[in-house]
Amino acid sequence: MLEEGSKVSTREKLRTYLLHRWVHRRWFYTHWDLFIQQPLGRLGLIMIFIFGLMALSHPILMKTLWHPTIFDPFVGFDTAIMPHPTTPSWRHLLGTDNFGRDVLSQLLISTQTSFSVGIIAAIIAVTISTLLGGMAGYFGGVIDAIIMGISDVFVLLPAPILLLIFGLLFRLEWPMVAIAYGIVTGLGGQTIVVKSHTLKIKVKPFIEAARAAGGGGGHIIRKHILPGLLSLTIVHAVFTVVGAVLTESLLSYFGRTRYYLSWGTMIWIGQQTFRWFTLEGQWHVILPPALAIMLFCSAFYLVGRALDEVFNPQLRVR
Amino acid sequence: MFKFIIRRVVRAFVALILFQSLLFTLIHALPYDVTAFTLAGPSWREFMQRQLGLDLPLWTQYFRWLGKFLQFDLGVSFQNWPASVSQILFSRISRTLLLFFSAAILAYLLGIWLGKVIAWRRGGWVEFGVTLGGVATYTSFAPWLGFVMINIFGWYLGWLPYQRLVNPNVWFNAPVMIDSLLARMVVTCVIACGAFLVVRRASQSIKTNHWRWTSQAGGIVIIGFGIGAWWSRSGLSYLALDVLAHLTLPLATVVLLSFGETMMIMRAAMLETKHEDYVLTARAKGLPDQVIRDRHVARNAILPVITRLALNLPFILVGSLVIERVFMWQAMGEIIFNAIEYQDIPVILGILSMVGILALIAHILLDILYTYLDPRVRYIGVE
Repeated sequence: MLEEGSKVSTREKLRTYLLHRWVHRRWFYTHWDLFIQQPLGRLGLIMIFIFGLMALSHPILMKTLWHPTIFDPFVGFDTAIMPHPTTPSWRHLLGTDNFGRDVLSQLLISTQTSFSVGIIAAIIAVTISTLLGGMAGYFGGVIDAIIMGISDVFVLLPAPILLLIFGLLFRLEWPMVAIAYGIVTGLGGQTIVVKSHTLKIKVKPFIEAARAAGGGGGHIIRKHILPGLLSLTIVHAVFTVVGAVLTESLLSYFGRTRYYLSWGTMIWIGQQTFRWFTLEGQWHVILPPALAIMLFCSAFYLVGRALDEVFNPQLRVR
Repeated sequence: MFKFIIRRVVRAFVALILFQSLLFTLIHALPYDVTAFTLAGPSWREFMQRQLGLDLPLWTQYFRWLGKFLQFDLGVSFQNWPASVSQILFSRISRTLLLFFSAAILAYLLGIWLGKVIAWRRGGWVEFGVTLGGVATYTSFAPWLGFVMINIFGWYLGWLPYQRLVNPNVWFNAPVMIDSLLARMVVTCVIACGAFLVVRRASQSIKTNHWRWTSQAGGIVIIGFGIGAWWSRSGLSYLALDVLAHLTLPLATVVLLSFGETMMIMRAAMLETKHEDYVLTARAKGLPDQVIRDRHVARNAILPVITRLALNLPFILVGSLVIERVFMWQAMGEIIFNAIEYQDIPVILGILSMVGILALIAHILLDILYTYLDPRVRYIGVE
């Protein structure tokens, strides 16, 4: 009896699970179609894909095509070409900087840093803001007062300046930058926005219907509140990526970070040795990282904008 | 309403005290010791510590500093010792305000106008190009953009001066100090904006389109002539022109960096208000397209833009840091950098807390403004 009962319930569970999967698949494809219809969103997605390939290609290239003593991004030096810096050639596709290091190799390894910084910061910020903002909006009362008190303080604090002050004492590592940026932005404005959005969702009729049908607090939060917050969460995540990458570049541009390579460091090195008043100077050192920052952030921004239109029906063309 | 304002102010005050405590804790968690750099021996170091109040226990220092702060006294700078922090800040703040207020006004006007245009004509090359351009300048790396501007307009074309606040050759034997002149320019700016708003308001009652535009243009010309006459009478116009020439490049950089965000927010807000019923009513009344866009949709869509202005206020500090460093524009950014380099704790705390106060005031004003601009927002019982 007992065995058979459990068997049936397992099959039931499986059926329900597959049904849910199917529904979610349909959800995914509907939204994917809406996303892919927008040319700017497509462009952003393609650019993010290319940057991902760039980040992945560096270790592969170092293993296969590039000789480690020549193409190492930190200590590589090409003795065959002198004097450094050299302009782009077939041997060094983006030229070399004044230390004789290959610019393309530096660019690729910096892509890894920027990707990691952006994504870690986004995950931290979004987790904090969704948890705290959702809690403040849903429960209200004392929890709301405490969380809003914290948010009111953190919204006044510009993260780059804070990190700049901290960078005086210890050279910052990129995980530190990512975590600090994520915490400050997540606790600041994002929590307030998520809270007001939760308040808007909470008074919708379907929440009342779910409660009337006997849904508990956990059920309502999981099935109704969190999916409602999903759109806002994705948009916040995308914009946090942009902010974190720009902040990290700024800090390394001002020389506050430890000697890992990032696009900001590359611009800084290029500008330190840039020969003023000669346009044949080191544009090939400065231009690729600057364009990379711009394109990377633009890609995420465009994707965020396209997602905003997907999730916000009022923004759609039709 | 009054009760709401009182409650909002009390909440802001609590937030301010918490913010001050957070700043103090963060700064003093770092092992700063300005007296460690003295070469004059331990007795001199002890004397310095006593003079600066660093020998006291930390909580005494904290309450002392908080008490002084509540009396609007930000303490004394370590780096240039007898000068007080507020003195240092007020000597430089007109420069940053001149740059960032004018940049904010220009960026918001440009962003709101472009956002209006691209929201109204969806799809097509105008939207595509303007969006790409706005996003590209908004996400470009600020020091690099400044560098490009300097190289193109400052050096290669040679149109504009760069790298300094003023030209010392022009300012040789000048009758006024730079900061008093800059303060006068800020005041002029504010007066001009106010006069323009008055002219616009007055011309709203004129029904015919071309007469309204003519009267507006006439008003602008009269304001411009008045300001020009006032400045040329004062005999300082050549100095003002010098400042303006040096201001142009940083201003253009800041505007390029910041108009994209306004544009995208304005566009999204326009698209949301476009589907409201009153827009349909306006269309049914047979109003011209431009009137619907400007009077009915844009006016209601402007709220998120104002919100963003208030939330972005602390980030003016970051902008001033970067732009002033790149253009060697000696203002607040230079003070912050020097304070960080020389571990000048009162100045760092003073600047950060001043920006916090400004932002808090902006938030309160925003909340009060919301009730006037958007009657749907009612605070009674909602909070």
